[in-house]
Amino acid sequence: MVLRMPSLSRRAFGAFGAAAGSALLLPRSLRAQEEPVRGGTLRFLVDPEPTGLVPLSDTTGANVMLSCKITEGLYGYNLDFSLRPQLALSHTLSPDGKELTFKLREGVKWHDGQPFTSADVAFSLMTLKTSHPRGRATYANLEEVQTSDAHTVVLKMKAPAPYLLNALAGQESPIVPKHIYDGSDIATNPHNHAPIGTGPFKFKEWQRGSHMIFERNEEYWDAGKPYLDRIIVRFIPDAAARSIAFETGEVDVGGDYPIPYSDLERLSQVPTLGIETRGYGYGPNISAIEFNLDNPYFAKPEVRQAVAHAVNKEILLQNVYYGFGEVATGPIHQAHTQFYTPDVHQYEFDPERANQLLDQAGLPRNGDGVRFAVSHDPLPIGNQHIQSGEYIRQALAQVGIQVTLRNQDMATYIKRVYADRDFDFVNNTMTNSPDPTLGVQRFYWSKNFKPGVPFSNGSHYSNPEVDRLLEAAQIEQDPAKRVQLFHDFQKIVAVDIPTLNTIAIQTFTIHSVNLKNHTLTADGIHANLAEAYLVS
Amino acid sequence: MGTDGRALRRFLRNPSAWLGLLVMAAVLLMAATAGLFYPGDPQGMVAKPYLWPGQDPAFPLGTDNLGRDVTAGVFHGARVSLWIGVVSAAICLTIGTLVGAIGGYFGGWTDDLLTRLTEAVQTMPSFLFLIVLVAIFQPTLATITLGIGLVSWPTVARLVRAEFRRLRGQDFVLAARSLGFPHWRIIFQEILPNALPPLIVTTSVIVASAILTESALAFLGLGDPNVLSWGMMIGNGRAVIRTAWYLSAVPGALIVLTVLAVNLLGEALNDAANPRLGN
Repeated sequence: MVLRMPSLSRRAFGAFGAAAGSALLLPRSLRAQEEPVRGGTLRFLVDPEPTGLVPLSDTTGANVMLSCKITEGLYGYNLDFSLRPQLALSHTLSPDGKELTFKLREGVKWHDGQPFTSADVAFSLMTLKTSHPRGRATYANLEEVQTSDAHTVVLKMKAPAPYLLNALAGQESPIVPKHIYDGSDIATNPHNHAPIGTGPFKFKEWQRGSHMIFERNEEYWDAGKPYLDRIIVRFIPDAAARSIAFETGEVDVGGDYPIPYSDLERLSQVPTLGIETRGYGYGPNISAIEFNLDNPYFAKPEVRQAVAHAVNKEILLQNVYYGFGEVATGPIHQAHTQFYTPDVHQYEFDPERANQLLDQAGLPRNGDGVRFAVSHDPLPIGNQHIQSGEYIRQALAQVGIQVTLRNQDMATYIKRVYADRDFDFVNNTMTNSPDPTLGVQRFYWSKNFKPGVPFSNGSHYSNPEVDRLLEAAQIEQDPAKRVQLFHDFQKIVAVDIPTLNTIAIQTFTIHSVNLKNHTLTADGIHANLAEAYLVS
Repeated sequence: MGTDGRALRRFLRNPSAWLGLLVMAAVLLMAATAGLFYPGDPQGMVAKPYLWPGQDPAFPLGTDNLGRDVTAGVFHGARVSLWIGVVSAAICLTIGTLVGAIGGYFGGWTDDLLTRLTEAVQTMPSFLFLIVLVAIFQPTLATITLGIGLVSWPTVARLVRAEFRRLRGQDFVLAARSLGFPHWRIIFQEILPNALPPLIVTTSVIVASAILTESALAFLGLGDPNVLSWGMMIGNGRAVIRTAWYLSAVPGALIVLTVLAVNLLGEALNDAANPRLGN
């Protein structure tokens, strides 16, 4: 039975939660409970080509997508977010919430044969605290990691960190070998491109511009796994070619909307393919227009509000995202049901109001009807950001803001926005991560304005009240109070709009129906694929 | 140049010349009237997205995924494509003619130096070289045009040099020399006019390939995102080529026709300039 999307499905797809989920859970990969099959080569598609394979400091989407096959974390997360022991077997938390003790798995070896010990965990966590764009927040309260014996670590914290147990997946907190990284510059360590991990697959080769090969780890701690012999990672930069690669069976799996939304309906009719929307709860994506608040125009609240009034999010959703998602109301994705609140200020689509605000801001139109000119940089991943940029330029032209689009490659974009700060405003897509403290705080916390760190507070937003709320939520142990802190945070940010959140995206994986067990966890095909197998 | 009249008559008797002229005239007319028929930004969102050609008489060639009028797009795209073709060909001709003429005329070490330079540029795969240039200097209309000119001049330089080598020993050049004409006058007023016929033919090829090169760049997403060219329209449309093929087919057909027309013109000019070839 093939998954067929009825014509109404665009909206249905966008509705998060059980209803939409259950309709899409039908692919036979789940219904059939066959015995796993050993062997086979999985052809895994990513786009764009990663910039590294260990997301210690560079958390570009493609890097995160591949990392866990080789580098593991302390825990995995089941689809219901319950914990799955990985490198850690169990943990205990002291009553004051300041001491977290992990029992580690014994007999685990790094791919180079060295034993995995508590020293590796201590080193990795302390490294993440300084090098990782979200790690700064995740491990902000972590003062010290004690290694009482080779397989026990004790995290000593200056205050409770209730979100920390959500951040231990390998894609978020990779555990790396101390003997490889110690004393080196983390961001430039050559093993970022040829990782040594504990995972089910070993890194074999990376032919730039062509492919990567990961080989089965014969000494994997979970005996008998992985089921696959090998993963070949393919990079196909052209969107139409990616769709064709799925149709012709040239690749077996790809995630994070690997094909244009416009092709999804067609591909859903292909009997050899399945579409999976689960496995993105760990990091739902939200698209946004991020302003540079150091820009003299966007520093003015009226100008940002005018942009919000001039951009019709519904058009972006329907014409650029083909309805796969919902209009975002604020900084937290609708999929984060426990933290999300729709009860925030909205700048409705109203170009008249935008014009008034710009007049009030002292930016009259000149003879050509132009108030001022700015540049816009779309995130160079996928087609949707460039298309969004084209829409934004048109929408803002209506209110007298002249926008010049700039296309560039990913490295140039990151340098421009986060290092050189040579930008006016961008549109991008950011992961919310499993907890707002980890995935959302980084864009709005003034202490995370760190030029040079990708995907940090790029807008240079600074609001003491927002800082206070975010910092309180970091340590609040009472879940209800913590939710309230995030509600208050959403209300302020929705008014200030340092970043105009546009679309809460529904993401999907496309897979061959022959691939089983690809989505067993909350992070879907981002996880290690130790249990995935291919039937013929 | 007493052969002008005969060459023109030969040109006008050639049916492919007429076909080329006709299509070129149509494209030029599109470019010239773009502002008249479609004032304002051709990238403006004016209608429902994905209107098929003919579905709404106001948008005879339909609309794209953002509701932009494809007809307005191809009219304005004609301007961009022609502009790039003509200006980059002019850049290419200027550099190529100067290098070729100076090398061919003076000979000796000047020639050696310029020939080596020409060969050095020619050994680089021109499209890759262009991609690098455009990536470094940001894709804008100016950098793309300049880039195309900068990577394609060696062909012209070699041709001009060969013509100058052939012509510089001829009697009329010797006569000019013995009359004491300065070098620049001999180069530009005596030799160059006689080297023009093959140069004109080559120019048509260069214009055509510049239009194609820009389309290829735009198709790869390295076009200037702020101006609409035919290549960019194809690049935008290709994601939906199965469901809305007209978005790629319409500008694609226009590129084919334009390049064909320029080539036909070039061929007709070649036939006219070399009567021995035709018969």
